[in-house]
Amino acid sequence: MNPRGFVAVSLVGLVAVGGLGTGSYFWSVGHVRRWTGNPTLGWVSCTRCHGTDLNKLAWARPRPRHPAPAGLAVSPDGRRLYIALDELDEVVEADAEHLTVLRRAAVAGGPFGLALDRAGRRLFVACRQQDRVAQLDLETFREVDSLFVGLEPVSLAFTETPAGERLIVANSGSGYASVLSPAPLKEVARPTTGREPFGVAAAPDGQRAWVVARLAEPDLARGGASAQPAEAGYAHLFLPAASELTCLSPDGGRVLRRVSLESAHLSEELRYVPARNWVLAPLVKVRNLVPITQVAHGWVMSSGLAVLDGRGQVVQVPLDEANDYFADPAGLAVDAAGRRAYVASAGSDTISVVDLDRLAAWLEQADEATRREAIRDLSLAAEYVVARVPTGRNPRHLALSPDGRRLYVSVRLEDQVWVVDTERLTVSGRLVLGDGGGWDPIRRGERVFTQAAHTFQRQFSCRSCHPDGHVDGLSYDFDGDGIGDNLLDNRTLRGIDGTAPFKWNGKNPTLPFQCGPRFSRVLMRTDPIPADDLRDLETFLKSLPPARTRHFTEQGKPLSPAAERGRQLFFATQRPDGTPIPIESQCQTCHRPPLFTNRLRSAVGTRGPRDATDEFDAPHLLGIAASAPYLHDGRARTLEELWTIYQTNDLHGVSSYWTKHQLNDLIEYLKTL
Amino acid sequence: MNPSVSCLLAGLLTAPALHAAADSPPTPFADVPFPVIERFENFGRADGIPDEKVHAVYKTRDGRLWIGTWNGLCVRGEDGRFHRYGPEDGLSHKMVLQIVEDPQTGDLWIATMRGLTRYSGGRFTVYTQTNSGLPNNVVYGVDVGGGRIWVATAAGAGCLDPRTGEWKIYDHNNTVMHEPWCYAIKATPELVFIGVWGGGIIEHDPARGTFKEYRDPDRDFHFDLVPDDGPVNDITAWIAWEDGRLWQCTYFGFARRDARGWKTWVEEKTPLLSNFTQFVWAHRGTAWIGMDKGVSVTDGETWVNYEVGAKGEGLRTLHRPGQPPKTQPMSTALANGFVLGIYVDDDEAWFATSLGLSRGVFAGPPRPAAVARAQR
Repeated sequence: MNPRGFVAVSLVGLVAVGGLGTGSYFWSVGHVRRWTGNPTLGWVSCTRCHGTDLNKLAWARPRPRHPAPAGLAVSPDGRRLYIALDELDEVVEADAEHLTVLRRAAVAGGPFGLALDRAGRRLFVACRQQDRVAQLDLETFREVDSLFVGLEPVSLAFTETPAGERLIVANSGSGYASVLSPAPLKEVARPTTGREPFGVAAAPDGQRAWVVARLAEPDLARGGASAQPAEAGYAHLFLPAASELTCLSPDGGRVLRRVSLESAHLSEELRYVPARNWVLAPLVKVRNLVPITQVAHGWVMSSGLAVLDGRGQVVQVPLDEANDYFADPAGLAVDAAGRRAYVASAGSDTISVVDLDRLAAWLEQADEATRREAIRDLSLAAEYVVARVPTGRNPRHLALSPDGRRLYVSVRLEDQVWVVDTERLTVSGRLVLGDGGGWDPIRRGERVFTQAAHTFQRQFSCRSCHPDGHVDGLSYDFDGDGIGDNLLDNRTLRGIDGTAPFKWNGKNPTLPFQCGPRFSRVLMRTDPIPADDLRDLETFLKSLPPARTRHFTEQGKPLSPAAERGRQLFFATQRPDGTPIPIESQCQTCHRPPLFTNRLRSAVGTRGPRDATDEFDAPHLLGIAASAPYLHDGRARTLEELWTIYQTNDLHGVSSYWTKHQLNDLIEYLKTL
Repeated sequence: MNPSVSCLLAGLLTAPALHAAADSPPTPFADVPFPVIERFENFGRADGIPDEKVHAVYKTRDGRLWIGTWNGLCVRGEDGRFHRYGPEDGLSHKMVLQIVEDPQTGDLWIATMRGLTRYSGGRFTVYTQTNSGLPNNVVYGVDVGGGRIWVATAAGAGCLDPRTGEWKIYDHNNTVMHEPWCYAIKATPELVFIGVWGGGIIEHDPARGTFKEYRDPDRDFHFDLVPDDGPVNDITAWIAWEDGRLWQCTYFGFARRDARGWKTWVEEKTPLLSNFTQFVWAHRGTAWIGMDKGVSVTDGETWVNYEVGAKGEGLRTLHRPGQPPKTQPMSTALANGFVLGIYVDDDEAWFATSLGLSRGVFAGPPRPAAVARAQR
């Protein structure tokens, strides 16, 4: 071809490509505007709505499994230590003195919590991922019985009642406990508890058992008064939250009393102290309504211990000290004499040693007002916290030898069990179960996630607001104005791979942007998380699968008829009378499968009087049933309220033609996502 | 054995019983196969009840007495006084219509004019049509059965599975019910009966998902033209079930269904005190019927009626089979003849009336406390 011809062809080609490109640009912009109903939207990536393959997301891919120790149990003679390894589906029997592994038992379903019977012949295992309780015969060290319970059982307690032996199981995903008779395993009762029941304890005489909920709910602090139906608006968001300590009768499972732990949550363990007739629960004192600008003045959470005494009165006392915090209290152990309690601070890698005699003496002399305000006084811990013992990364579960001389600590993110000599308060031994997983970026990221070292005075970790990467059910005054505007619901971090951008206003394009410098400036008031750690943190967060909302036995099964009807409603393109539903108002447009989000902002009529914008990021809906409350500020306490109270002129989907049947069906479908 | 020794032994064994029988006063109403009330004790504002209009009364397994009034839920304290819970304590509405206890968990389920309330461990939890799948806020009846909570509302019956949180609605859209106004619900071990205003009774088999309708075959609104042919009327005001017997209250008579079929009663032809029957409590084969003129108690054969006379005096009328009725004055009377709710056990009877609460004290020797405890 001659040069002139080449130039001509090139020019024509360029014009054609340019025209095609320009045409494609305008077509795609028009396409997006048409589908979203937003005439101001510019060009957005096709991948927001197209081309997502769930199987290629980080959380759907296989991940390395580590021998991370979860629950611990010590045999009555003190010679054996039992360790649950939930990631490996194993329970390990170890020599408690020489710290060597003796036997291993395969227990499917993520064995997490352990409890021994009184004679030490049977070991009961809460299998979190398969929603069941397994019984191991310790003679053969094999599983001999199993029973499905509620969603995600995490802990259990054994006791003997006049009606027979009982197991109390905390089903963290179900909102109820299971009371079982163990020989053979059979359900006796299913009493409801607070949200995410996590810790459980039983009196040895079988007269009482207690279950503590991990999450707080806005209603409980007012003694139930705010259980009244919510008025339209969000005044109820400004009520202090409280978690629940539920007292049961273990024989028949009757609920005897529900105790509020005011402005407290994330209790994961519970111990009954017979010598004092106390129930102890570690807790996080949360101040979610305090503006984030106050972080440097003690915002937003501190650690404490709840003491429920024999008269039924609750006192919360601090475990932190001024300018030195011990975040995420998780494990708890108390010696048989009721003299000492040990609290594992999972975010600060520390065991706090509490002298219960001194605590009792302080409580005895304190008047009621002083007791009520005790949790606010960070100088108080010096009265009864007699030592702090450093541990490895992420101490979560504790168990004491019967003589109280050895404290076993599951150092979860180092794959080790440490032994603390309780007389010298020094580490006297380690049982190494694995290599710590330092080669695994997900494991490294989990360490960052659970570590309070990156926040001001080590007040909190990522996990403090996102237990297991999920929600804490609270709304926070998260904006920089510090005057109570722009309250934000705490969004889940589970199932977020592929759902960028982040934040309710959709302004954070990536996780490193979300969790990096912005966080350090606004939230942590410290140096940013180092770049390598930030990369690992992102890897960890992307590896978190959506919260599971269906029972293990229901997984993979067809939808129920109600859920199927709800699915059809979700994907409806017209009303029953044939009237088309505008594209931009169809559920599937903004909540587009498979992630159930188009990753764009929309105005759905939910702007409140304190909001600066009326456009909010469309959240993904995977595991939505477990992430209440809803809407950007958490004003809708249930899925129903989204449409019965907070729907405005059919802006959040077209719901005005729905019957109550259809709303219930839709919710049944949403619960399956 | 030697006959003489046998006789001696028999004599020794039977003598104390004969001696006791000879010393005991004759048991009153021995020919009445259910407890007869000897006197009434009445309770009102002076006892802490916030309003005279008492809609419901219920004794829980721990022995505590609960009442639902026009103005709140009350529990009777050890001092005998009633302590009130209202909306300010977490109750969904001040007007309480029915109370039942979950026998397994001890939770109290309370039907109100604005939602369903659970009282558990000292805490109220509210379910409304806006925050949950409850069919409607006007909850007339509630029952617990098969681990589920069943409600009768002004817009259909509903069922909550506490394990999954799923609500199901049963109304004219998905059952044989031709209108959704449900007044009463009773969950039995296998079946659920729904009392429908104007729709007779719906029998639901949850395991099979089937519904069966019981309607008054003669379809006459005011008269039971053909006795014993089915429900006495379609206006079902309340139902009760016990051991295979289903009892129906209507505003035009009373009916029972058992293995032999239906049996109907109207005041014009039977001892039924009034056709306007609005509540029935079944206990040991006996129906305790609350109506606008007092209370009728029957096992289907023998009847005892309790009325309030023109001067406020108590009147008791016994209808023994084959004998003329016998009316006896009583030392005390029901607080009011308009009886909205009843609770009866082996120890006593309680009546919720439109002018206070009444306790019926049974005639005859009280049962030993140990027996009462064991049966509870």
